[in-house]
Amino acid sequence: MNNVTQIVQKVRQAPWRVQRQWIGLFLLALVLMAMVAGIYLNVTVRATLAGREIQTLRNEITPNQRDNADLETQLAGLTSFEAVQQRAEAMGFQPTSPDDITYVAVPGYVAQSAVDLSTPGATQPAAPVILPEYTESWFDYFMNQQAFSASAGGQP
Amino acid sequence: MKRHPHAWRYLSVAFLLAVLGIAILVQIVRIQNSPEVAGVINQGDYVWKDFFPPRGEIHDRHGSLLAGNKTVYEIGLDLTVNPDMPTVMLALQMSGIDLNEVNYRISLAPVNAQYIILDDFVSTDKAEQLMTLQKAAHSDPTGKNLDAVYFKAHYARSYPENDLASNVLGFVTEDNHGYLGIEEKYDNILAGIPVRMLVPADPRRATEYPTIPPGQTIILTIDRKIQAAIEKILDQALVGTGASSGTIVVMDPLTGEILAMSSTPRLNLNDYQSITTVFPGETPFNRAISQAYEPGSVSKILTMAGALDSGAVQPGTVFFDTGSILVGGFRIVNWDGGAWGYQDMTGCLANSLNVCLAWVSSTQMGSDSFYSYMQRFGLGHATGIDLAQETSGRLKLPGDGDWRPVELGTNAFGQGVSVTSIQMVMAASALANDGQMIYPHVLYAQIQAGKQSNTKTQIVGTPISANTAHTISEMLANALETESSAALVPGYRIAGKTGTAQIPLSGGGYDENDINATFIGWGPVDDPRFIVYVWLEKPQSNKAASVVAAPIFKQVVEKLVVLMDVPPDAVRLQKNGR
Repeated sequence: MNNVTQIVQKVRQAPWRVQRQWIGLFLLALVLMAMVAGIYLNVTVRATLAGREIQTLRNEITPNQRDNADLETQLAGLTSFEAVQQRAEAMGFQPTSPDDITYVAVPGYVAQSAVDLSTPGATQPAAPVILPEYTESWFDYFMNQQAFSASAGGQP
Repeated sequence: MKRHPHAWRYLSVAFLLAVLGIAILVQIVRIQNSPEVAGVINQGDYVWKDFFPPRGEIHDRHGSLLAGNKTVYEIGLDLTVNPDMPTVMLALQMSGIDLNEVNYRISLAPVNAQYIILDDFVSTDKAEQLMTLQKAAHSDPTGKNLDAVYFKAHYARSYPENDLASNVLGFVTEDNHGYLGIEEKYDNILAGIPVRMLVPADPRRATEYPTIPPGQTIILTIDRKIQAAIEKILDQALVGTGASSGTIVVMDPLTGEILAMSSTPRLNLNDYQSITTVFPGETPFNRAISQAYEPGSVSKILTMAGALDSGAVQPGTVFFDTGSILVGGFRIVNWDGGAWGYQDMTGCLANSLNVCLAWVSSTQMGSDSFYSYMQRFGLGHATGIDLAQETSGRLKLPGDGDWRPVELGTNAFGQGVSVTSIQMVMAASALANDGQMIYPHVLYAQIQAGKQSNTKTQIVGTPISANTAHTISEMLANALETESSAALVPGYRIAGKTGTAQIPLSGGGYDENDINATFIGWGPVDDPRFIVYVWLEKPQSNKAASVVAAPIFKQVVEKLVVLMDVPPDAVRLQKNGR
């Protein structure tokens, strides 16, 4: 029995075994670091791609807005009072006088009121939609995930 | 403790890494503080640039665009790539760009400039022509090129209706500031918030600009169709009467919404640079709010309203007109110098008798009561209408250094007091609106974050009772019918009053040759939908407002009843079961 104990003791304290333990620990740390770096790189790449896409879309919005403004102004020019009047006169229309008008009572008729240029469904300016993964810290991320898992697991 | 035999290797590596780290830090600090970096800005590589958001649009009450935005271009030259100047100048000329302007800008450029703005606010047509030439130059076998020419698109103000409602709108200059009218009054909300940032002067290095929210869109109370109609009538009136200028204002007396407002001259707002030619000297941009004048007999409606409200007279009160009256030691006579005998108060208004109204103010009311009412009607104070450059006119009061007792009599028929057209319209709104005087305004609504918020009606005061308002309206309507006024519109009962006013001379006394012809009226009397104010300055065809201004009022009302869907009184009352 003593011999067995001595052999185990010798093996445990063998220099090559101690060295292997250190190498194993180092490799474990390296793998952990590589994993962290990989995840970080992945998130960074995704964030960068999303940011770049936003930037590209923003760059497209500006000329589109200018085109819209141009078209709106052109349309307003084509439908300006003078232009419409000229076209109407060319088509044989004439200005109306009160004597030309016969009034008829129309039940439910609603006279023209002033315009309402509200955007349908507009309430408040839309809040920026940026996923929390892009803004929270690693610590927050893990805490949130843990809290989410706990709450999901706690459901009946 | 035994030292590791290879420890010196680790120490060496650690030392080298530490030295490398320190070297990097030193280099970062050195670069940040180096004179080269500091000199970048000073040498003009970077410039401060203002980014203006798209200016808010202006619409009329039915949504027609009165002021919008269009794309224009800044055309610049990158001097760092050794531009082919003869080719550049030729291309600019071929594109229709003013070379004098270009040469002037080049002459102003600093010696070490890297980028010169050759022209700005260049139209899209011209810029696109130049872009086409630039593309064509790429394949030029002789090596001519336009690679140094750069284009930067930005917004400029555009007015699709040209001069329509120009007196109300005002204009925007190239520095994106609004001047006069609505553009100046609401410049802060239309312009949005500009952003100032440092950008590379070299256009190739400018990568990302800030996203700036646009200015707010606004809707005016102006009705484009009514505005166009009154402008046409006004232009024809000036030709027909030979008047030097004219003003017409149309307001909804119940809400204070200005439906149309025009004065002469008008400016094509797309060519605002010609303002000094169109408006020489001290010519007001909008006479309706910026030019005060002695209104003459139209102000008798305020005197009579005050007198009725205070109980100083009744509609049936009889006055014996001898043709003159002494007030403050001065003799006041009628417009025709005649004596009109017995007149009730309606007769005094119908015949526009100065002597009668001077008697009402001086004998029946007294100065305290008379001036109290004039102040309650807002005379002597700006209305606060939301247009830039409003003036207040002048109502001299007892106690003022230049007030004389005779003015108690002359003020009663509109002499010695100056008002603007909009002041008279606001004062008259009390007569048309059950005694409530309404704040006149041009802003109908503003759009913010897609939501429209409408301007609420504001009551400035209640200078007279509703009963008095009804009484004076009836008297004025009867007066028009009695005199068979040229202002009468068949089928519609209208209340109104003419005003033929002498023009005071700067050195004292009155001009013997010229007059101001005015007419103010509202209708239908039992349910007023509009107040119309017509003022012609120095008409030459005739010297009586009943001849020159009243027919203009009639023309305006004939248009209004069609455009505003106001049926004749008989139809309306039948429909209402009355």
